[in-house]
Parts: sequence; C-alpha cells; structure tokens
Amino acid sequence: MAVVVSLLQHRLLQEWEFHTDCLMLLRKLFWRPNHPQFPICRTVCDFPLKKYDVIVVGGGHAGTEAAAAAARVGAKTLLVTQKIQTIGALSCNPSLGGVGKGQLVREVDSLDGLCGRAGDWAGVHFSILNRSKGPAVWGPRAQLDRELYRQFIQTELHAMPRLTVLEGSVEELLVSEPNPDQPGQHRVTGIRIVDGGQTISSSSMVLTTGTFLSGSLFMGQTTSPGGRIGDPPSCVGLSHSLREKLGLRTGRLRTGTPPRIIKATVQLSLAQINAPDKQPTPFSYLNKHTRCKPEEQLPCYLTHTTPGVERIVMESLHLNTHIQQDTKGPRYCPSIESRVLRFPGRSHQVWLEPEGLTSDLLYPQGLSMTLPPDLQLRLLREIPALQRAEIQIPGYGVQYDFVCPTQLSPSLQVKRVQGLFLAGQINGTTGYEEAAAQGLWAGVNAGRTALSLPALSLSRTQSYIGVLIDDLVGRGVTEPYRMFTSRAEFRTALRPDNADLRLSPRGFEEIGCVSECRYEEAVRVRDALRDALTAMKSISMSSTRWREKLGDVNVSESKSTMLSALELLQYNGVTFEMLASAFPECLSKHLEFSQRLKIEAIYRPHCERQVREMERIREEESLSLPLDIDYFSLPVSLSREVREVLDHVRPHTLGAATRLRGMTPAAIVQLLNYVRKTGQDRHGKRGKHIEMAALEKEGGI
Amino acid sequence: MFNFISGSLRRGPSFIMKGLRGNPSKNRCSSDICDADTIFALSSGHGRCGVAVVRISGPASGLVLSSLAGRTHSRTVPRTARLCNIIDPRSQELLDRGLVLWFPGPRSFTGEDSVEFHIHGGPAVISGVLQALGSLPGVRPAEAGEFTRRAFHAGKLDLTEVEGLGDLIHAETEAQRRQALRQMAGDLGQLYHGWSQRLIRCLAHVEAYIDFSEDELIEDGVLNQVDSSVSQLQKEVERHLQDGRRGERLRGGVQVVIAGKTNAGKSSLLNILCQRPVAIVSPVAGTTRDVVETHLDIRGFPVLLSDTAGLRDTLDSVEREGVRRAMERVEQADLTLAVLDSTHLPKAHQGVPHFLLGHLRTLLPGGEDLEAALRRCLLVINKSDLLTDEQVAKIQTVLSQAEELPPVCLMSCHTGHGLDDFMEALLKQVKTLCGDPLSGSPSLTQARHRAHLQRCVQALAQYHRYRDLDLALAAEGVRLALTSLGRITGKVGPEEILDVIFRDFCIGK
Repeated sequence: MAVVVSLLQHRLLQEWEFHTDCLMLLRKLFWRPNHPQFPICRTVCDFPLKKYDVIVVGGGHAGTEAAAAAARVGAKTLLVTQKIQTIGALSCNPSLGGVGKGQLVREVDSLDGLCGRAGDWAGVHFSILNRSKGPAVWGPRAQLDRELYRQFIQTELHAMPRLTVLEGSVEELLVSEPNPDQPGQHRVTGIRIVDGGQTISSSSMVLTTGTFLSGSLFMGQTTSPGGRIGDPPSCVGLSHSLREKLGLRTGRLRTGTPPRIIKATVQLSLAQINAPDKQPTPFSYLNKHTRCKPEEQLPCYLTHTTPGVERIVMESLHLNTHIQQDTKGPRYCPSIESRVLRFPGRSHQVWLEPEGLTSDLLYPQGLSMTLPPDLQLRLLREIPALQRAEIQIPGYGVQYDFVCPTQLSPSLQVKRVQGLFLAGQINGTTGYEEAAAQGLWAGVNAGRTALSLPALSLSRTQSYIGVLIDDLVGRGVTEPYRMFTSRAEFRTALRPDNADLRLSPRGFEEIGCVSECRYEEAVRVRDALRDALTAMKSISMSSTRWREKLGDVNVSESKSTMLSALELLQYNGVTFEMLASAFPECLSKHLEFSQRLKIEAIYRPHCERQVREMERIREEESLSLPLDIDYFSLPVSLSREVREVLDHVRPHTLGAATRLRGMTPAAIVQLLNYVRKTGQDRHGKRGKHIEMAALEKEGGI
Repeated sequence: MFNFISGSLRRGPSFIMKGLRGNPSKNRCSSDICDADTIFALSSGHGRCGVAVVRISGPASGLVLSSLAGRTHSRTVPRTARLCNIIDPRSQELLDRGLVLWFPGPRSFTGEDSVEFHIHGGPAVISGVLQALGSLPGVRPAEAGEFTRRAFHAGKLDLTEVEGLGDLIHAETEAQRRQALRQMAGDLGQLYHGWSQRLIRCLAHVEAYIDFSEDELIEDGVLNQVDSSVSQLQKEVERHLQDGRRGERLRGGVQVVIAGKTNAGKSSLLNILCQRPVAIVSPVAGTTRDVVETHLDIRGFPVLLSDTAGLRDTLDSVEREGVRRAMERVEQADLTLAVLDSTHLPKAHQGVPHFLLGHLRTLLPGGEDLEAALRRCLLVINKSDLLTDEQVAKIQTVLSQAEELPPVCLMSCHTGHGLDDFMEALLKQVKTLCGDPLSGSPSLTQARHRAHLQRCVQALAQYHRYRDLDLALAAEGVRLALTSLGRITGKVGPEEILDVIFRDFCIGK
C-alpha cells in the first residue's frame, strides 16, 4: 500500500502543483483517477451507525458543500443520495463561475468549500469575464470536464473525516415536539429510508433536493415524474412531509436544459472560435496553477440562430406542454422558445461548449428546449454549423417545488422547524454557484446547531453569500433567483480579489469551517498587504518629483500637490512594479501582490466613503426581532398594513424589516423602541444607526 | 420635530433636568459616524411672525458661524445673543441683520455644536438664509425628526420622550409627504419624475453591460447611449439648479381645501370666507368644475383656500376631470373643510354621527388611516336655515356627544347662522398648523430638493470621471445619482433595475 501511495503521490505532484497546503497533500493520497466506482458505497444493512449529528439529503452542489462544511465544523455527518454515482454531477451546463457567480465561487473557496478547487481541477477553458470593466466586476469562469469535476468532488468527500455516504431514498422526515427553550413548532429527529423502512436519527438536517421535489420532466407533450433525466424520481413522501406535516408554503418553478450534440457531427469550421485566456486564473486562493496547462485548454464556439429556428418554434407551440404552462422560469436563462416569443425577428447567440477533454459531446448553451425530440433535431439543423448534427440526449424541461424562502432564518434554518435547513434550488435559486454557497452555509449552521454552537449569519456588507441569503429570506422569490453584481450594494468592496481577506480569517476564528493552513495563508496575505499599503502611504512627494522619478506619468494634479505612492497608484498607467523599482528597499518585497495592491489602491478611497453606510446596515442586521413576536397584539402604534406585512414575512432582523415593502420610518422606530424595552437588545450601542435607517426610508417620500 | 422643539423649550427646566439624567455612556455623538453631517431647519412656525428661528446642528456649526455671521466660534461667548450681519457666503450679499447664538456641544439640545439664527420672518429672508446654508459643504436640510433623533443619541431624552418619537416622525413624514405631493403634482414633479425614469434606464443599461455583456448580445453602443444620456441629464439638472430661484411658483401658506358633494354650498362658503364673490354660485349642481384658488389672511395666518368641483359620478368629461383634481387636492391638503347639505342628514338623529363618519370615509383620501385624516378635517353642515330650530337643537346635542368625529359646525352660508363658531374653529385649526413649519413652507422643501439635486449632479460627474478607467466605479456614480434623486421622487430598488434590463435586452446565458 505504501508503495502505491508514494507512486501515486509522485505522479500527481508532477501534474498537480498545488500550493503547499497540508490538507491538499493528504487528499492527493486518496486520489484515484481511474477508480470506476465511488468507494464508500454502502447499503443500510452493513451500516453501523444509526445516529448522526447532521444528515444531508442530496448530492448536488448544495448537498456536497453542505456535507463537507458540516464535517469541517466537526459534526458527524451522513450524506444520503439516490445515486452515489451522480454525486458532484453537473446536471446542466459544463461551466462554473461568471460575473457575480465567480465571486460566489471565490467566497465558497475562502470558507474552504469544494467548488473552487474542483473547478481548478476540472477546468478545460478558463477566462476572466469583464476584464475591461474594472476588477470589482471581473467574473472568473471556466468550462469544465464533467467527469473530472465529479471525480474530484467524490474524492474530496471520500477523504473527508467524519463524513459517511449512503445510497438511498428518503421516505419520510421524522419530527417531534420542539425544544421549548427555542422558537419553532417542530424539531427534526431523523429520516426513514425507503427500502426496509429503517430510520436514522440526527440532530439537524440539510435538505438539498434540487429539482427533485415533486419534479416532473417535460419533453414535447410527454410528462414524467423526475428531477433529472436518467435518475429515479424523488420520493413524493418528502414533499408531502414538508407541506402537510410541517405546514410549509411551497411554490412551483421551471427550468430546462438543451440537447447534447455529438461533436463529430458538428461543422465547427462554420462557427466562430472563442479562445480561453492565455494564462488561466485559478478559482481557489490555494492554487497557483490550474490542472489544465495553458496550451491544453479547449476552445468554445459561437454561432447564431436563423429565421428557420424561429419558424419551427412557432409551428410547434401546440406540441410543447412545458412552454404553454405559466410556471415561472428564469428570465436570464430562457429556453429558445421563450427567447423567440419575447424577442421575435432576431438572431440569438448559441455557444457550443466542450463537455470535457475526452467527451465526444458538445453543449449548445442558449438552446434549452422542450420540443418533441424529432423537432429538436429539425430545429438544430436550421443552424449552419449544426446542419448535420446528431443529438445524443434531447433537451427537456423540469418543473419542481420550492419552499418559499421567507420561511427561513438567515442561518438557512426553517423558522418553524428546529434543526431543519434548506439549501439550493429548494429555496428558489438557480445555478451551481448559488446552490454551493447556500449549501456551505446551511452545512456550517446545521453542524454548529448539532454541536450546540450558536447559528451564524453572514452580512450583506461582507459577502455575496450574505447578499444571496438576505435577499432570499428577506424578500423571497418570484422567479428562479440568480446572482448579479447589481444586487450587491457594496459591489466595489465585495470583489473577487479579496474574498479571502473578507472570509477566511472569520471562517477559522469564529465559524470553524476553515483549515489552519488556509487561515495562516490568509493572515500572511493580509499582513503583507497592510504593510505594503502603510509603506506606500509613507512615501509622499510632489507630483513634479514623481514625474522625475517614474518618467512619463500622466498625473493631472498641479505641480506642487503632494501625492503619496498609494494615491499615485490609483492613476491609470501607474503600476506597483513601477513604484517598486523606484523604491526597491521598502516595496520590492511585496511584488507578489502587485495586482492586488493596484486594485486596492483604486477602490480604497471609494470603499472608505461607504464605510458609514455599511456600518449602518451591519447594525440593523445585528438587531434581531424575536421570531415568536405577535405583531397584531404588539402594544405599539403600528398601522394594520404594517402589522400584516411584518406578520407575513416575520423578518429576522430590523435590517430585514427596513427592506420590506410598505414599512414606514415611524414603524421602524416603534419596533426599535419595542425591542429595546423588551431587552432583546443586550448590547447598549446597538440601534444607534437604526434611526438613520428610518431616515433613509423616509427619503422615499 | 419642530413642534417638539418648541414644546420642549417651553418645558424648559424640567426638560434639561431629564437631559442631565440621560445615560452618559450614550453621549458620544462626536465619535458617532452617523452624525457626520451638519443639519439645518427652520424651527419657528411660519405664520405672520416677526422673527424666524433657524437651527443648525453638527460638526460644521462652527463653519456656519464664521461663513454666515463672520464670527470665530472660539471668540464667541456661548449661549449669548449677539446682533450680526448675516451674509451669503457665495455672493457676500447681506441677507439680514439678526441675532446669532452659539451653543458648543455637549451643552446643546442635540449634544452637538449648534447655532441659532433669529432673523426677520419674511419668506425672502428665510429662503435666502436656508439656501446659503445649503450651499456650505457637509451641511444639509434636516430630515423629519432628525434634531430629536440626535438628541436621543446624545442621551438627552429619556425613554418616555423617545416613545413619542415614532408618532412624531409619523406626523412629520406625513407633513412632508403632503408637501412633496403638492409639488410633485405640478410641472416640477413631472420634471423630476422624468429625470428619475431616464436615470433608471441609464443605470439599468450600465448594470446590464456589467452583468451580461461579454458573451451576450449587449453591444458597446449601449454605453455610448448612456454617456450621452448622463451628460444631457447632468446639463439639465445643473441648469435647473441655476435658475432655481425663478423656478415654479411655490404655493405658500396652509393649504385648506373645501370639498363635498355637488351643491352642498362649497362655493358659497368660499365667497363668505373671502368676503367677495370669487366663485360663481348657483343652485345648479356641478357649477364649479375646476379648482378655484384664493389667498387669504385669517387673523394673520396665511392660507391658500381652494374650492373644488362637487364630488359625484358624472359622464361629463370636463366635470370628471374636475372631480379628479378635487380628490387630488384633498390628498395634498393640510386641512379639509368637508361641506355637507343639512337636508341630506338622516331623519333619525341618533344615526347622524354614523352617517357623517361614512360620508367622511368616502371623501377623505383612502388607504391612509382614517384617524390621521380626521385630525386634518373640519366638518361643515351647511344650509341650517332649511331645518327647524328643534331639529338644529337635536342635531347639536347628538353631535356634542359623538367623540370620534372631527369638529363639526352647523351653519348657514345664506343667513350667516353659526358663522362665528365656524370662524373660531377654523382659526384654531389654522393656528395649530402654522405652528408646524413643515406645512406649507415651500422654501424648506426647496432647500431639501436643491441639496439632493446637487448631490445628483456630483454623482453624475463621477460617472464621467471613471467611465474609461473603471466601469464599476462609474456605475457607482449613477447608483448614487439615482439614490439622491430617489430622495425626491421615491426609492428605486434593484428589482426595478432588473425589470428594465430584462425588458430591454434578450439575455440568454
């Protein structure tokens, strides 16, 4: 065995030059790229434990992150999935990241989640979107090899201490009377498995059922139960448990996926080639390189729809059950049918994306469709590059139940059910990254709750994960929710370059989900950046002298104005390398961070101006409203309308309350006074900024 | 806040004692980041008064003292009135001669450095001083209840006083809302609203370009359009700010509206109040079709009285428009005179209060809670000459016992019966309203609008400054501009921006 390990290690180290992370090294030992089956395939019979801290149901992006995060915080965790093989499968597009989504991947990575490193391992085409638009909105993105991604996730989970995986379907959620010391009407105690009816108990549970909650598949006029083609349909029992037993409000959403095309039948010469970045940028802060070598990356191809495509869509609407229904689908990832219907007479983009290094399939991004299979083929062949295309798996639509997320607290726990956490599409979101972010956070809190640690929440002033969760639980969803940078008020502070500084230290010190290695690296970076900024601030000269020193620098200030090196670095055309060569003694040791320092210099003054506003939002978020408050009998003067809104949404914090429709400044002050008087606010200084919130609110008159 | 301030000043000694008992640990306003701005407001009522008081509170109070009164705060004796020339710091033009008081923190109402100007009460002087204050950096008009809030932060109020804060803010917000409605109903409102719509589009397009463009169908042309829209907007707002003094004539005074069903005698009431025939009166229902406005002086208090078309369902399109305008006026009014024909009262006298309440419910603006609307209402039962003396006596007995009703006057415009009582009731209401400087003070709204518009222009300049350097920072400029304008026209949320994005672009990825 030892020989095998060292051989493996040797081979891996050659192609996989990871940064010196001790955990990574450990995991490499378990890496078995050619292993056909997941190693911990167990059935209930040979399954020794019947009691876990956390049970995670579902093995998609949310489930895997949740299980790993719960195990990282120290909880004994069981991941239950219908099919071990599909753990970590990319159900839809073979890509990760993008604008807004890339930020989420970076943040998940900063909290030691899986998807960033998995992306670096499986990526076959890396590019930073929005390169020309300012580093705050850069979008790291990669095309992935489906097989490699799945293998990486499965191997990571295999190596994870305290984590067990079980193949099986959940028949029923087991609940009991609530713990009277905490709010809520029920408490989860475990699950019952379909075959054999065995029960497994746990203190908390994360449900990540994706599209499988009462999912139905649509293709043409046929409908069948299920959440993904080729997989068994999910249990009706779970959906029933949530609605009937726990009384949760649910809604229905839809999504879809395009047909997969056989690559050999596509005339790629008729499409426009789209090359990746020459130098791939890894997602993970721990990686210096991606597994794929720059020159081995695969291209994508761009082509366009023709009037023939539109004709076929229009002619076959009556054969298309999915499109005739009025269930809400995403506006930003529409099927080709809805694109044609909403914007007729146009040519729409179609991206042909690789499915992997060895895959013989192409993924036509933008051609999600639910036509009958023969018509799908006819439609494809209206596109020049696809004239002779053959379909391997046709496209289809999915409709599924989601739980209205306003019923969750910011820890992603269901407010009325102690110990029950939800993450991913079950909360009405769309996208791998959104699912991973919620999964991680639900896993952290499920683990912490099981270990009797207090649940935590992330602020929307500090992370996109915080924005995502706050939007979901505070405002709810009316269509599948996707992350955009425009959703973040503090976009210029929540950048993809600084997620490690924003989250890793807290992840280790407070949350407990970050390894010591990552923490030490984040601290090293933080200290180095701080030293470099201090050094740059201390160097100050007139703009004339700067020009002498650096040569032709376009500084608009008048000659005698004093400028620090940090201020100078904000200027277009000034790089940290230039400053370091002018002052090598104090700056050259920081050359490793030249790009981060340049970005910091550009945004720092702006972010400093936003500090006050951030502070205010954080104060509001920290002031919690009791969950069991009876708004109708509250002895303060609130109008009937405001009471109804508060009772319906039951905001978790005063911050969430201020963002509700129909809230008045007076109502916020009344709430604040009430909370203060009832002693909910144990920290004297809190609430100082809440009146300012009232002020903001009345600005709207 | 203004009612509150004058109230607290009157309560003098006891108030100060309470202030001293306040929690000293909360007294750290100097380090409190949320109080970084310096605020000002007209603190006296605006009826015909010899002296107006303008208050300033915040760290830049010293700057205000030196820029407007030419005095250094270190050499000014605290809490002592001093006669000074008050100068516009931009033009060095003399605005007024008045008393100036300097209250260094923490010994002031808000606990911060504060200044008071006691100036002459004319609208031109007040407006000049307010505009001069608004032009100073870091100084802005106070929002509703802000002085009180700062006092609260500084530990100068105790809990019982804080309890009133919510109601106070509610009342002031209501006053501001009515005032804003008045302005927004006119050309000015349409102008601001139009700007806001264009800015929403600009922001949506920049955000779409950031969140979607690269591999989607959003071309660079989108940004060029935004560039020119932003420049155009910037120019328009700047021009508007420059001739702000000559802008739309703002109606000053307490806004009193006469409203009721057709032929109740609304125009007769107007004519009696004006003591001249301003409006045509006739027994034909629907005589008044548009709003008839007249300025009045009721024992020294300025009032803008509007007579409106009688409310009834009608097929006549001109009259329908008149009814719509009437409803709009009632919504914006500080005080509504609800006029009713006495012969329409139910014969059973016990049912009168219930009937009247039902009548008011249909007349006063819906949505808003009725109680607040009732406080701003005076009920006039006209044509008492058509009732017998016995009926009049009975009705008056019933009404005197009905507590939920606003003040009611039974009178006759024809004979003059009950007119004196009506005038007393009206004067009482107008007096109360005039004590509140927010009602009908156009200069204050104007100062607030100017401050927001100036911020909007500065933010738009940021867009241009960063346009080619960093689009995220440029977009931040448009976001900020929209927030500033939103303070006048209403808040714009991210969902609205996304709605515009998805309406204008086909996003497919």
